[in-house]
Amino acid sequence: MTTKRRINLKRVLEQAVSSLYGDLVTRPTGKAVRSEVVHMLADAEGETTVVIDFGLVGILDISCADEIVGKLLIDHGTARYYMLYGVSDAHCDSIEQVLERHRLAVVASDRDGRIQVLGPIADTARTAFRAIFDAGPTDPSELASQLSWTVDAARQALDELSTQRLVQVSADRYVAIKA
Amino acid sequence: MTRVVDVPNQFDDRTFDQFAKGMEGGGDRLLFDAHATHWASPYGLVGLLAAGQHATENGQQRPLLTVPADRDVAHYWGSAGFFEQASDWFELHGKVPRVSPSHSSDVLLPITPVRGSDDVHQVVERIQERSAAILSGELRLEATATMGFAMALSEACQNIVEHAGTSGWVAVQAYYWKRRLGRKVVVIAVADAGVGFRQTLAATQAARFGDRWNDATALEAALFQGASRFRDPGRGQGLAGITRYANRWEGKVSLRSGTARIAILPSWDDDEPLVDGLPAFPGSQVLIIIPAQHAQ
Repeated sequence: MTTKRRINLKRVLEQAVSSLYGDLVTRPTGKAVRSEVVHMLADAEGETTVVIDFGLVGILDISCADEIVGKLLIDHGTARYYMLYGVSDAHCDSIEQVLERHRLAVVASDRDGRIQVLGPIADTARTAFRAIFDAGPTDPSELASQLSWTVDAARQALDELSTQRLVQVSADRYVAIKA
Repeated sequence: MTRVVDVPNQFDDRTFDQFAKGMEGGGDRLLFDAHATHWASPYGLVGLLAAGQHATENGQQRPLLTVPADRDVAHYWGSAGFFEQASDWFELHGKVPRVSPSHSSDVLLPITPVRGSDDVHQVVERIQERSAAILSGELRLEATATMGFAMALSEACQNIVEHAGTSGWVAVQAYYWKRRLGRKVVVIAVADAGVGFRQTLAATQAARFGDRWNDATALEAALFQGASRFRDPGRGQGLAGITRYANRWEGKVSLRSGTARIAILPSWDDDEPLVDGLPAFPGSQVLIIIPAQHAQ
C-alpha cells in the first residue's frame, strides 16, 4: 500500500541550520537540510510518496537545489517516490538547472496545485503524464486510444515516466504521483 | 621603499586594468593614491580592498591609502561601506568621513565581507529587504527576477567561500547610466584576493588543457563548461545559473582572474568577450550588471 510523507523544508531548515534563515542558500545549508530529510525518511517504506514542501521557502539557489533535490534523487530516488510542493517560478528555475545537469525529472506543484514535470523528459512522456494526471490511472492501450498514439509509443512514454519514478505502477496500471 | 599605485580618477571595470598595472612588481610598501579620484564603482572599491588584502596577507607591510580629497567623494565611499572595511587592510591617510554605510537608497548592499556560508545567508536576507522596490519598481523586473537576483548574488558570493581560500567582499548598487546605457542598472560586484580560477581548477582541469592551461582557459572552463575543482558532478553550476539569469534579463557577466577577463555580453555592451595578457591581479573579480527592462 502506498503511503505519503510530507516534509516542510522551512521547518527542516530551522531544525537543521537556524531558525533565523528563511532561504535555502549555500551548499553547507543544502547538505544539512538533505541529511535531516534523509534521517526523517529512514523508516519510510519503499512505496512511500515523499511530498517535499517548498511553500515557506524564500530563495532557493542552485547550490542548495543541487544538494537537496539533485542529490536526494540521485542517492535515494529509486527507493521512494518524490514530489515537490509549493514551488515558485524562481524555485523551478534553480531546480530545472540541477535536473538538466543530472538528467533527472520530478513532479512539482505550485501553491495553487498546478502540476508540472520538471527536468528533461521527452515531450511524449510529458503529454502522457498530463493525461494520466487529468484522467486517472491507465495502461498503454488506454493511453494510446486516449491520445491517438500507437500502443508502442504509449508504452515507451509510460516506461520513461516509470523509469524516472514520475508514476507508480500498480496492477499493470500507471498512476500519477499526487500530493 | 614606498611605491605609489595611482587609483584612477574614474575607477571602475573599464579602468581596473590600469590600476592592476600599477600594482605589478613587488617588494616595496605600496601607497594607493586615491586623493584625486572623483568616482569609484562598487567594482573598483571591492577591487581596491582586495589589493590591500593581498599586500597585507603576502607579508608586505600594510599598504598606505590616501583618502579622496573631495569631501563628497570620500563621503560616498563611506556610505558605500568602504572605510569600515579598509581600516583592516590599509593605513589610511587623509580625512575619513564619519558616515554610516548604506544611507543612500541606491546602495542596496554596502560593501560586505564574505568569509563563510553565514555571511552569504545574511547577504541574501539583506538584499531582499532593500532591493525589491528598486528591482520591480525602477528596473521593472518581474517578481521572479528579484528572486533570481538574490540567487545570482548568493552564487557569486559562494564562489569566494568555496574557491578563494580567503575572504572577499560583495557590494550591490543601483545607478542611472546616463551616457553608457541611458537606463538605470543594478550592479553586483564581488572581489577576493584568493588563489584565482587557474589555481583552483588546476587539479581537475589543467591536464585536459596541457600547454594551453592559463588564466583565460581556466575562465572559459569555469564559465562555459561548468568546470569545478570538485569531482562531484553537481558542482560548477553556480556560474551557469548566473549567466542564465543575466541572459534572460539582458544583463552582463564579467569575470576577471589573474591576467584574463571573460564576459557574457548583452547587445548594449561593446566589451571584448575574452581578453588575455592583462596586468596580473590576485584572486577573482566578478561583475554582474542587470539593466532596467525599458528605456526610462
